[in-house]
Amino acid sequence: MSEQPGRDRHRWKTLLLALATLIIVFAAVFAAVAFAGRLDQIGFLRFPLGFYLLAQGLLIAMVALAFWSTRMQERIDRSFSEGEEL
Amino acid sequence: MSSSRRRQANPHLGAYYGILTSAFVSLVISLAMFEQLGWPEMWVARAMILVPLALYLAISLGACTLNVEDFFASGRRVPPVYNGAALAAVLIGGTGFFAYTGTLFFLGFDALAIGLAWTAGLIMSGLLFVPYLRKAGAYTMPAFLGQRFRSRPLRAMASVLQLPPAAFLLAAEIKVAALIIAMFLPLSHQLAVACVAIIIACVTIVGGMRSLTWSASAQFIVGAVGFAVPLIIVSVLLTNLPAPQLTYGELFEPLKRSETVAGVSPSAPGELATALPHEQPRPSAKPFLQAFGAVSRTDFLTLFLCLTLGAASLPSLLARGGVTSSVADQRRSVAWGVFFVALFAISAPALAAFVKLLVFQDIAQAPASALPSWLNDLSAYRLLFARDANTDGAIEAAELFVARDGIVLVLPMAARLPFVCTVLMAAAGLAIALAAAASHLFTLAGSLADDVIRLVDPRSEVLPRLMVAWVAIAATSLAAGVFLAFAEIDVMRVAIMAFASAAATFFPVLLLAIWWRRCNWLGAMVALGAGFATMAAAVAFGGAPIAGQFRLTTVLAALIGAALGLIGGLIGSLLGPKPTPAEQAYFEELRDPSGDALHDRPQRRTAVAAASQ
Repeated sequence: MSEQPGRDRHRWKTLLLALATLIIVFAAVFAAVAFAGRLDQIGFLRFPLGFYLLAQGLLIAMVALAFWSTRMQERIDRSFSEGEEL
Repeated sequence: MSSSRRRQANPHLGAYYGILTSAFVSLVISLAMFEQLGWPEMWVARAMILVPLALYLAISLGACTLNVEDFFASGRRVPPVYNGAALAAVLIGGTGFFAYTGTLFFLGFDALAIGLAWTAGLIMSGLLFVPYLRKAGAYTMPAFLGQRFRSRPLRAMASVLQLPPAAFLLAAEIKVAALIIAMFLPLSHQLAVACVAIIIACVTIVGGMRSLTWSASAQFIVGAVGFAVPLIIVSVLLTNLPAPQLTYGELFEPLKRSETVAGVSPSAPGELATALPHEQPRPSAKPFLQAFGAVSRTDFLTLFLCLTLGAASLPSLLARGGVTSSVADQRRSVAWGVFFVALFAISAPALAAFVKLLVFQDIAQAPASALPSWLNDLSAYRLLFARDANTDGAIEAAELFVARDGIVLVLPMAARLPFVCTVLMAAAGLAIALAAAASHLFTLAGSLADDVIRLVDPRSEVLPRLMVAWVAIAATSLAAGVFLAFAEIDVMRVAIMAFASAAATFFPVLLLAIWWRRCNWLGAMVALGAGFATMAAAVAFGGAPIAGQFRLTTVLAALIGAALGLIGGLIGSLLGPKPTPAEQAYFEELRDPSGDALHDRPQRRTAVAAASQ
């Protein structure tokens, strides 16, 4: 039964990573939508910032987030399988 | 390990697709030269549409298989990038290719919810569902639910409830593909529908998921090249830089000016159902950059959430959940899918802005007597009309009728690019539509065959199992073809309906099945039923007011259905029996990222036993 704590830690880390990633995505989209009007007053690369975020900025951030969370999850999985072999 | 050796992808895959890409590029270049040498446009169009079609069919034939694992899971050896490309093609589809760009043309800012939702939905699916479906390794999503809860009726029920999302999308994609074929080949609409139905049935029957994967990779390449080349050329013409995504911001000033000249003034948001543009040509009445001028802030978020949940639980995407060689590869493939989808979602607004600027500058600011010559070409294709209704000598925005699904084809014509660019764009859209249509067809028919028909005869041998699938695929594509030959559908509304029903029906049950140990078959059934009933109610009321001002639109019904499904699933599970030890063990095993797919273990044991005898 020595693998139980390791397994639980692995579960918690996986769940936490998934929740954190999703919360970041939804919070960013909701914030960009809520403040779209005010952000549009600011210019960025000759785009209004509110439009830029929804059309491009957030999408680029989501791609980065998708690859980042994949890498983090692989790290979590590796530490779990190494711990399991001990 | 012997299994890992077996799971290795073909090492020449990169070379094959490199050759394919260069062959397609040389086809485009040769056709461009032939056009300059005086080939009639008709021949250029036919070559550009037919040669890639022959290529897809040849690839599918090359990937034909009689092996069950190849047929249903592409042999579990697809490299992540290729699966990501196929995921993106299926998610965007011909509907996204033509209707999303068109919606951006009409609504500008307000349409961005759709592109954001695709990307967010795919991320959500990759975090919450896909790795666990890969570990389970079931060939279809209903089969996963059946194994998770040890319940055959649940499996059949889930398979039947896949009908709305998969069949709606199948119909939409076939229609998009048929429109393109009828536009550039001398075929009537009915014949074009029949052609598309036959092509996707052939692709799907000869090799199932295996031929789907490899033809979809080719179709993705054709789609990406065909979309990017005209867009980049126009970007160079307008902004001197070949990066449309970065540079279209500098066109906003001239765009705003021409919108003002054409008489487009800021609008107030209406109801979502009427705000989304229809298929028939109509004037564009909202400034591109105005935030929430057609769709209100709340509707924007509702649409975003509905499509996000729908994309996360879309059966055709989850059906690809078992095709890579490991859980880690499956995660990576979703990340690549997010990348490809985001790339399209970033480029589409640039395309819409270019088209709007070109059209408004050239038509809406010219005297009605001296309209550009390309307007006649576009009118001949029924993509754009201008008539000076109030005879004031100028065309205003209200007198310019634009077809929503033709915006991508308007771009090369309005920029006066050679005709080959127009058919290149059309071939790209056709490729993506075919990839998506074949995938929806396989998801629907493969699941009906394997999850429902086999209930009657569960002990069928290898060949009969595939034969059942072949018959189901042929019958489904025939039914879709017959339906489309007579029915008129608006592809974007149908696609939104499909995403909404996927969100309402499958999101809650998958969330509970994968993340809640206590969930049992009763809870899963209640969750499926509650979501489906809500969507059915929305369709029955058809958006009419139910109580006071409250209207149950499709999009809203999806969110309510998902919430009711979750609540129903919780209550049903708590009222039902405690999960058996076998179910609990299955739940535990799902979370272990290493090792074989759970579905493959009995087969492997049988194979080992047979080998040792």
